[in-house]
Amino acid sequence: MPGSIKDQVAIIGVGCTKFGDNFDQSFEDLLVEAGFAAFADARVEPERVEAAWLGTFSPYAGNGKASVSLADALRMYGKPITRVENYCATGTDAFRNAAMAVASGMYDVGLVAGAEKLKDRPVRGLGWENGHPYQHDGLTPPGVFAMAANRYFHRFGHGSGAGREALAKVSVKNHHNGSMNPKAHFQMEVSEEQVLKAPIVAWPFGLFDCCPTTDGAAAAVICRADMARQFRDDYVLVKGLGLAVTSGRPWYDAANEYVGFAATRAASEEAYRMAGVRNPVAEIDLAEVHDCFTWTEITNYEDLGFCGKGEGMHFIGEGRSALSGDLPVNPSGGLKSFGHPIGASGVRMIYEVVTQLRGQAGARQVRDAELGLVHNLGGPGSVACVIVMGRR
Amino acid sequence: MIGIANYSVYVPRRRLRRETIAAAWGAPALPGCKAAVNFDEDSLTMAQSAAWPLVQSGGAEALSFASTTAPYWQRSAASLIAAACDLPARTATADFGASLRSATTALRAALDAVAAGSVRTALVMAADCRDGAPESAEEMLFGDAAAAVSVGSEDLAAELVAMVSRSDDFPDEWRRDTDTHVRSFASKYSLARGYIENVVAVGRALFEQAGVQPDQIARAALTSSDGRAHLAAAKALGIPAARVEDVRAGDIGITGAAMPLFLLAQALDCAKAGDLILAIAYGDGADGFLFRALGGGTRLRADSPTMEYPTYQVYRKLRGYWRTSGGSVEISNVLLRREETQNVRLHGSLCPQCGLLQFPIAKVCVGCHHHGGLIEKPLARHGRLFTFTKDFLYNARVEPTVMAVVDLDGGGRFLCQMTDVDPAAVEIGMEIELVLRRMREGAGDHYYYWKCRPV
Repeated sequence: MPGSIKDQVAIIGVGCTKFGDNFDQSFEDLLVEAGFAAFADARVEPERVEAAWLGTFSPYAGNGKASVSLADALRMYGKPITRVENYCATGTDAFRNAAMAVASGMYDVGLVAGAEKLKDRPVRGLGWENGHPYQHDGLTPPGVFAMAANRYFHRFGHGSGAGREALAKVSVKNHHNGSMNPKAHFQMEVSEEQVLKAPIVAWPFGLFDCCPTTDGAAAAVICRADMARQFRDDYVLVKGLGLAVTSGRPWYDAANEYVGFAATRAASEEAYRMAGVRNPVAEIDLAEVHDCFTWTEITNYEDLGFCGKGEGMHFIGEGRSALSGDLPVNPSGGLKSFGHPIGASGVRMIYEVVTQLRGQAGARQVRDAELGLVHNLGGPGSVACVIVMGRR
Repeated sequence: MIGIANYSVYVPRRRLRRETIAAAWGAPALPGCKAAVNFDEDSLTMAQSAAWPLVQSGGAEALSFASTTAPYWQRSAASLIAAACDLPARTATADFGASLRSATTALRAALDAVAAGSVRTALVMAADCRDGAPESAEEMLFGDAAAAVSVGSEDLAAELVAMVSRSDDFPDEWRRDTDTHVRSFASKYSLARGYIENVVAVGRALFEQAGVQPDQIARAALTSSDGRAHLAAAKALGIPAARVEDVRAGDIGITGAAMPLFLLAQALDCAKAGDLILAIAYGDGADGFLFRALGGGTRLRADSPTMEYPTYQVYRKLRGYWRTSGGSVEISNVLLRREETQNVRLHGSLCPQCGLLQFPIAKVCVGCHHHGGLIEKPLARHGRLFTFTKDFLYNARVEPTVMAVVDLDGGGRFLCQMTDVDPAAVEIGMEIELVLRRMREGAGDHYYYWKCRPV
């Protein structure tokens, strides 16, 4: 059984750019804004940082490739920097590697940054540029999750389409939360009717079932827990983390029931074990989960153990994941409303949970938040990373 | 004894009504409709679909492809089809073209090869998808189809009685190396001097060689460039119209190089043991055959259900006339060759430990994680839909792109696009077959891979 780094690593500063169509900002501009915001929040000089991790998914036009993308943006030269790429779990996995390095005693202070500049590109959507040229021809990110959603609805008796009302509720909730978030890509309410009547992108997903393509960056400064008080009193501790990888070609595995993601189940079990969480729905106060598509949030409820398999539609339907519910999910607005610059998203989720745990989330503040969860899901549901963090 | 063993025809599911064409041009309509390829089909894919049931029923030592619309000037369609039919490297492949009688030229070569004993079985495929110029008579007439026959000496549907060939460099219909559409001198003179003269000469030569009288002919499979001339030729040969095969101009169209084998298949369908079948294909001369039906052999692919092109614009768009294909996929021949067994031959791996058949070819079992000794094995090309989506984001020629996860008979879960389907009819559990289709166009090549379609 793996070891534990519970309470050994503290998050002492976070920063995040406005997410959106940041046409006037370069990739480096985004990293500079998020990075220096995190330094200022942590009250550390950049020179204090001993090592850094950069999460970027898809390099473009000379940006996002290798460690130099961070080194040149922050002029952080001569230090160990590692670029991490792990599909949409890139940001959280960058954080996970940084936390383990700090917990090992190798470094006292580390920086994690995630950034993506998707809107510099001419393509529509995210594309699937690294798929097999024949075997994966025709696959798009919404299509990949839509195939699972259709099987899920087939399996749980709602028929393909009857579950669309439940999907719409996720979109309405996350847009509502995002409307209170000044950094969100979309700060507007949507109605269930709007969601249901939107053009279809990949059945059963309409436009409002899909997260947007977004520019943005987020950063976090972490340090050894035993020195966190030097920087601030209201630091946040890493309680548990887990990463799990399943097949990147789930469509070829005949044993795959296609109704959820085993990667999320394994990663959350690992994070819960480390954090000592036995009953997630009772113990966790808020969760930022990977709602790349509305159905993904529904299966996440189940795979993270908030409810049983097939019950996710009731979990949203009964309002349990709303801001006022017993386990608010995506108070930030989620990928759906906050936006999804791939490598930045996981770090942005950490930014949101830290902000909530400090009680600084304003209108969207979750009451008495002490323990928060972050969940990234990458590829066709293949890579999951879960982080549990709490007030000291 | 040599002759035709089995035979099959393939007609694309899509139809275009001639009144739809006429409405687009403000022109008077001809009656009926024509068969037209889907956007992901061409002569190669149609020929493969026609050949596959024949390969399954008995293999082939030689495989030839005949067409005036081969997708390559330089690259053997027959060799690619041989791989897609999972035939061994020793298969003798050949490509025939240039003439509307290229299929019968290939058939002669196959009959000669079997007669000479150089091969025991030979498979001849013919396919055409000729594009008539917009607003031309050819656009109304031409239809797309394929047919295939297997030639051998055992279990025959019909034995060869006589064959005759005639060469005639008469310019009535042609297409230069730079032309995309057929050009012709369509006239009464062309018909009389070209078609009628050659077909009648070949027919009479066959009667003389075999010592038979016209009234002994039970079925006459005569090709036709206009849907009428074959009746005039039959009359000149003394064969009553009732014994002449319908060339299917009304519901499929003038099918070019595919027509000779298509009509031969049709004649074999209704022939009784002992019936004499006359088959003549015209084009720069003519090839003629007399077969005697033996009552054996089977047609191995039934005509498919049809789907109509809703408008002329959709037809033209999918025909690639108003919009060239996008994409810039370049695939190295290193990857192409290394993955041929899985991507073209459609092989997977069988786990010796747990018995799971899986795709793609693997060294470690996806089911039980057993390492080593996985056995390469062909996958079934038939199964059921496990799940799907209808995707409007993928930049496709026709939206939505239906993506399918299928469970193949005997094992193997497979991902592919679904084609020839009304998206509203897609349902989990539906029966599907895998078909070879043209994929997203590359910058410098066509790419062929598998799609599924409802059975």
